[in-house]
Amino acid sequence: MENKHYIAQLPDYLDDTLPPEQKEVIATHIASCTTCKEALKELQILSTAFDNEPEVAPSARLRDNFFAQLEAEKQSSSKLIAMDGSSFSKKTNWPTTFLKIAASIALLIGSYFLGKQQQAQIAHTEIALLTNENESFKQTAMLSLMGNKSASKRIQGVQFVTEFSAPDETIVSALIERMLNDENTNVRRTAVEVLSEFTRSELVTNGFIKALKTEKDPGIQITIIQILGKIQERNAVVPMQNLLERKDTQPYVKEELELVLPKII
Amino acid sequence: MKHFTFITLVLISFFAVNAQQYKQSLAGIEWVKIESKSSITVKTHTTNELLIKSENTTKIPERAKGLKLIGEGGADNTEMGFYVVKEGNNLIVRNLRKSNHSTAEIYLPASQNISVTTRGTGAADIEIIGFKSEIEASALLNGSIHIENVSGPVTADSLNGGITISFSTLNQDSPITIYATNGELDITLPKNTPANLSLGTVNGDIYTDFDLKFPEKNGLKSISFSQKLNQAINGGGVPFQLKTTNGNIYLRKK
Amino acid sequence: MKTNKTITFLENLTDEMLMAKVANGNLDVLKILFERHHKHVFNFLYKMCGDKMLSEDITQEVFYKLMKYRSSYNNGKFVSWLFTIARNCLKTHFRKTVNTPESIDTTAIKHIEKEEEKPDYSDLQIALNQLDASDRELLVLHRFQEIKYEELANIVGSTPGAVKTKVSRAMQKLRNIYFKNI
Repeated sequence: MENKHYIAQLPDYLDDTLPPEQKEVIATHIASCTTCKEALKELQILSTAFDNEPEVAPSARLRDNFFAQLEAEKQSSSKLIAMDGSSFSKKTNWPTTFLKIAASIALLIGSYFLGKQQQAQIAHTEIALLTNENESFKQTAMLSLMGNKSASKRIQGVQFVTEFSAPDETIVSALIERMLNDENTNVRRTAVEVLSEFTRSELVTNGFIKALKTEKDPGIQITIIQILGKIQERNAVVPMQNLLERKDTQPYVKEELELVLPKII
Repeated sequence: MKHFTFITLVLISFFAVNAQQYKQSLAGIEWVKIESKSSITVKTHTTNELLIKSENTTKIPERAKGLKLIGEGGADNTEMGFYVVKEGNNLIVRNLRKSNHSTAEIYLPASQNISVTTRGTGAADIEIIGFKSEIEASALLNGSIHIENVSGPVTADSLNGGITISFSTLNQDSPITIYATNGELDITLPKNTPANLSLGTVNGDIYTDFDLKFPEKNGLKSISFSQKLNQAINGGGVPFQLKTTNGNIYLRKK
Repeated sequence: MKTNKTITFLENLTDEMLMAKVANGNLDVLKILFERHHKHVFNFLYKMCGDKMLSEDITQEVFYKLMKYRSSYNNGKFVSWLFTIARNCLKTHFRKTVNTPESIDTTAIKHIEKEEEKPDYSDLQIALNQLDASDRELLVLHRFQEIKYEELANIVGSTPGAVKTKVSRAMQKLRNIYFKNI
């Protein structure tokens, strides 16, 4: 019976991918065959070794580089930008373009990634990396939602920001863009509400001040006035006074302004 | 007999002038965007086309004979006071008449995404009935919004008018936001609807027969006078936001 | 209080659906595929060549090719396509650097021998390194990346049955090496 071993089938037996009849045959055999029993034991150990083999994490450089390439590709494949075409699209001139873009991205979000990298180094566990992966996935999803045609989807994108532990500048800028320029009142209002959580950022307070000049909906105007009043934003005083003097400002907005303005000064 | 022919002729001419129709295919259209300065009603029908029905109660001025109505948004290309144009996969439908003497009804398939915006100094009410698709309704000046027998998502806002919405079911895909600055909200939901409710009003009151409670304030005085309430119903679900600045909120179950 | 229902719209899409979007010109969706798979590609390459920097470079090249050749995506199994590209990139690299087509094995192993004194090599990795590149490749893809026989057959250009036998044999070889070492 020496040559009647089932060594070759053992990996599948271990993975439980065999048909039940065959499985049963092998099980009975193993019970009485020391060679196969030993082999199965070793395979089990090996299998555990595979499971325990740690996954190695690539450095952030990989993501940064690839995303920069992607941006470059987006630029070159969109026909909107008029180029003389000779050097850019035909020859793969991406290294220079990509370096330029990489540099600008680095400038833009450098501080955020640095912070993130340090954090990851401290924790340097799989969990930390998993969180990062989630964050950037969420970001992609959120930004694509914010560009959706449907107002409800854009609102979903805006509300999504509350899922971020620390939204970066790209996200905050996208939110400010919604607050200032979205055609739908409810999208702008939701953006204002979400942004009110981030008033410590100068980018955000400047956004609010800008919105005070452009926003026509009195309900949103009141919310912004309350937010800027609460944080005692001095730079908002002049735009608030202007709003107070404007003829088309609703009386109850003016009341709110008269209530808030003295508290700032 | 002569008399009878005369009446028939009058009737025929009456229908010819006053009960008009305009049709347009909706193939490849993702959103229908309706803009109007007067009241507008949007209902459903079973064909995949846009149908505009208009019944004028006032006569087109005698002097306008042979002339075309032109409005701010474009010229009448439907012979019934509407400007209809495709923009990408949007279909823009603009009502060029400012007066409410004509009651225009727009018919669309129930699965069509619609966005309706009115901006009228007179009453420019929006009425939407029976859609299973996504609905956006904005009454930017003096109009109310009435929406019934829909499943959402609904994104609605009004400045000076109230908003009444009755949901048949509630689509859980993406958030519902309803906001009235100076008007009241009157919202009806099926009683077993799962949702994450968020209700807020600055100067109004909230009334409901759902089992909702304001969080205990621990004896602390609230900082602002505005009332806010966040609560899940029926196990929680899609975000559902109702807010006003100066109007009351009525949330009913059925 | 936020339900997960609000986040599931793109996460629910399969790789194939996402790649179809990319092929249609929605390049941003490729970011999602990158997030889902770049670690796997990187780890496959790292297991094959033992060089972190090189693996990063080739991983980047793989996704660059995915982007460049997006319109040639034929709606097949995405993972198969991805690892076929990864495998070809690695081969091309070794062909370039060493100039002889059969030198994948020797180069890879030489590389590893050079770093063998590095303490962070597991017994398993050391045993894997002693296998032929083709056996190692099968085991890494099947056991680490959990790629099924059918897709594995697509990747290496074989049939599921033949691949199954090869994997089983490679596993036996590995077992012998592994327990001899210990």
